[in-house]
Amino acid sequence: MSKSFLFAGAAAGLALAAALPASAQSIDYGSLEELFNEPVTTSATGSPQRASQAPVDMDIISADEIRRSGATDLPTILSRVAGVDIQAWSAGHADVGVRGYNQARSARLLVLVNGRQAYLDHYGYTAWSTLPVRLEEIRQIEVVKGPNSALFGFNAVAGVVNIITYNPKFDDEGFATARAGNGGYGELALGHTVKLGDRVSARLTAGGSQQDEWDNNTGSADRLFRDAERVTANIDAIAQLADTVELRVEGGYANTQQTDIISTYAYVPAKYLAHSVKGTLAWDSKFGLIQASAYQNDLTVKTEIAAVPTLYENTIRVFSLQNLFKVGAKHTFRVGVEQRNNEMPTAPVRGATISYDVASVSGMWNWQVNDALALTAAARYDSLELKREGVFPAGLPPLGNSLWDRSLEETTYNLGAVWSATPADTFRATYARGVQLPTLVDLGGLQLVAVTPTFRGAFGGNPTLEPTVVTNVGLAYDRDMPQFGGKVGVRLFAQKSEDLKGQPNGAQADLPATPVSLPVYTFVNIGESELKGVELTAEGRYADGFHWSANYVFTDVEESIDAGYNAATRYAAFAATTPEHRANLNIGWSNDQWSVDTFTRYEGDKALYYNAALQPVDGHMTFAGRVARELPYGMTLALSGQNLLDDAQRQTSGLAAERRVFMTLSKDW
Amino acid sequence: MFTRYAKPAFAVLCAAALALPAVAHADATKNLQVAGRALTFLEGGPTGTTRMGVVFDPSKPASVAEKNEVMAAIGAGYDAGAVKLVGTAVEAGAVAGSNAQVLFVTKGVNYAAVGAAAKGKKIITISSDAACANSGACVMAVATEPKVEIIVNRATASAVGAAFKAAFRMMIKEV
Repeated sequence: MSKSFLFAGAAAGLALAAALPASAQSIDYGSLEELFNEPVTTSATGSPQRASQAPVDMDIISADEIRRSGATDLPTILSRVAGVDIQAWSAGHADVGVRGYNQARSARLLVLVNGRQAYLDHYGYTAWSTLPVRLEEIRQIEVVKGPNSALFGFNAVAGVVNIITYNPKFDDEGFATARAGNGGYGELALGHTVKLGDRVSARLTAGGSQQDEWDNNTGSADRLFRDAERVTANIDAIAQLADTVELRVEGGYANTQQTDIISTYAYVPAKYLAHSVKGTLAWDSKFGLIQASAYQNDLTVKTEIAAVPTLYENTIRVFSLQNLFKVGAKHTFRVGVEQRNNEMPTAPVRGATISYDVASVSGMWNWQVNDALALTAAARYDSLELKREGVFPAGLPPLGNSLWDRSLEETTYNLGAVWSATPADTFRATYARGVQLPTLVDLGGLQLVAVTPTFRGAFGGNPTLEPTVVTNVGLAYDRDMPQFGGKVGVRLFAQKSEDLKGQPNGAQADLPATPVSLPVYTFVNIGESELKGVELTAEGRYADGFHWSANYVFTDVEESIDAGYNAATRYAAFAATTPEHRANLNIGWSNDQWSVDTFTRYEGDKALYYNAALQPVDGHMTFAGRVARELPYGMTLALSGQNLLDDAQRQTSGLAAERRVFMTLSKDW
Repeated sequence: MFTRYAKPAFAVLCAAALALPAVAHADATKNLQVAGRALTFLEGGPTGTTRMGVVFDPSKPASVAEKNEVMAAIGAGYDAGAVKLVGTAVEAGAVAGSNAQVLFVTKGVNYAAVGAAAKGKKIITISSDAACANSGACVMAVATEPKVEIIVNRATASAVGAAFKAAFRMMIKEV
């Protein structure tokens, strides 16, 4: 499946649409939300559901909350969600985790844009700047907490962030934004929706931003740090091919530069070029909602490892087919198949390619037992075939490509029960098994030969590395509180991670030197870890324009490490790196002309790696806010700021996060 | 002391008395909004100006009261999603002669008789009483307090030729 094929198919579909009548098949989030007076999601089971009835722990960030956040990036917005952890390493990059286990190159959180993977498979993380969407075109951000591999597959273990953009068929959105701030911040963004007759709609957006990197107080070389620059473009087009058939084509482009931090907690400069194209054909048939989609992501990263220039190239191709249908009055089913191909040339030493193909089959059954009780069972089976082609560089052991001829078969599942005891009281019980796949880098994409006066060794992947299996059990209770126009909730969860992945460390060789090879340092499974936690949430909204929300999450992580390994040496001391406490308090007010919002966040003590050792990071409080005035002609003038309590605040073991203040002039139409 | 608090107490009572019909009217408006929006999820359903007959029983005060509230909410025309509802009051016994595209059946009317007449004319029937849909007399029942609830009777919908979009069906209660 090539991109030219995808584009040709899209063009043919758009042309065909011009001769056919219009109707609707895709999920009209806006109309359904207005109808049911609450957000609607498909990220829990694949079936459209009211957020309050989803059989997972989920929070949904609305477009209005994004607009009033005053934030200029997604990690900042996500950090205000209960249980979301953030490690802001530089002005342009942050790692985001859910309910603990966050780390440099956070691999456990799957990030999607309209269901298309934005998570970078080659190294297992999300470079948020490479998402091609602007904040203004996001309808809602759906944050699923806990494994949801039965729907989304590998790596949806800590949770899923599914970013839903406005649908150009239903949402006639347009915007222009100009923003300036201290630290050399500047941003321009533009988006517009066009209608071509009754049958074709498209939204085009583009934007660019830049800001200075935070001051280098780390002792690391200045050349490792890059000012953050980002240019993106996105197109989202929908064509009505027939009364019940619709084609959606999405294409994204991102060209960015930033300071990254790799999984061994070393800063590196990075330049990204990412583009993607996706086509989705949806048919509202008498057999159900049938959807076929295909997408390809291409990524190029120019960076370095241990001062060696490194070029990562990764291509992902995914084809999926699913049917969603209801049987009788009480049973909804989803059945699906997926084929995925993923490959990268080895780096920084070239000469070989690591790839795998994954064939998957999945299903979901939702049973509305009675007016109060709904049960959901979802399962997915993935069969992966790993392959290596190419030569072995001098210094690495010539193990033979056949060592990579490996099959991996995994079954994942999600079970959920939602009991609406009264119209105001909802109980939820969940049990899930998710799988975090070793990355392509882990499996052999990394080939680095280091020979210096003080060190001789090779860093390479491990084709026998096992995936990390995460099982999670959860109990939740939510109660609507009409007394203050809000709700309160408590969520208990316990999680076990087996076959934890440890990172390579030059202090512990995993393969000894031979006459033809250097000692090898690689990724290994080092043991298991357990987590227990509780999440408390409350929010209220009043007729006079005031609203507030508060959340607190406690987590406790324990590790059980296999003999011969040390979690700290392997950059996997999650009991130390996960804060026990984090809390948010958001307070806002608005009327027809003014809006004021404040965001206070506390994160407890933790330790994070730097210079190959754990460094204590004290608990800290951050404060952000936005004051906005609506102007004539749909324009808004806003003053906002992040990290307002200090000029520079130590939030991680790396660069201190700097205060940023922005002035934004925007117009919506 | 009594004099001191008499005026505020009287004012509160007056405000409460005034608020009662306002609350009821608000409920009728919300029900109307949900009913109108739900119609947009019909396959080949109405768009634009849509004639809604508000069915009532003149001998039942509750029915008449709800009819009045719904008609007041519709006014000269009520926009709900892609439809604009225009209303006509229809006595329960006159459904067969109505030219309405949709019937809103108020509480207290003889559901069975109205439902049978509506089926004969292939008219979609909506009520704020779940019993109307549960009994098979109405295609749909809507409620907005404390949460939006929509019930669709599959057999009745089929009888009048109404088919709802698949996504909508997955989010409502069907009987």
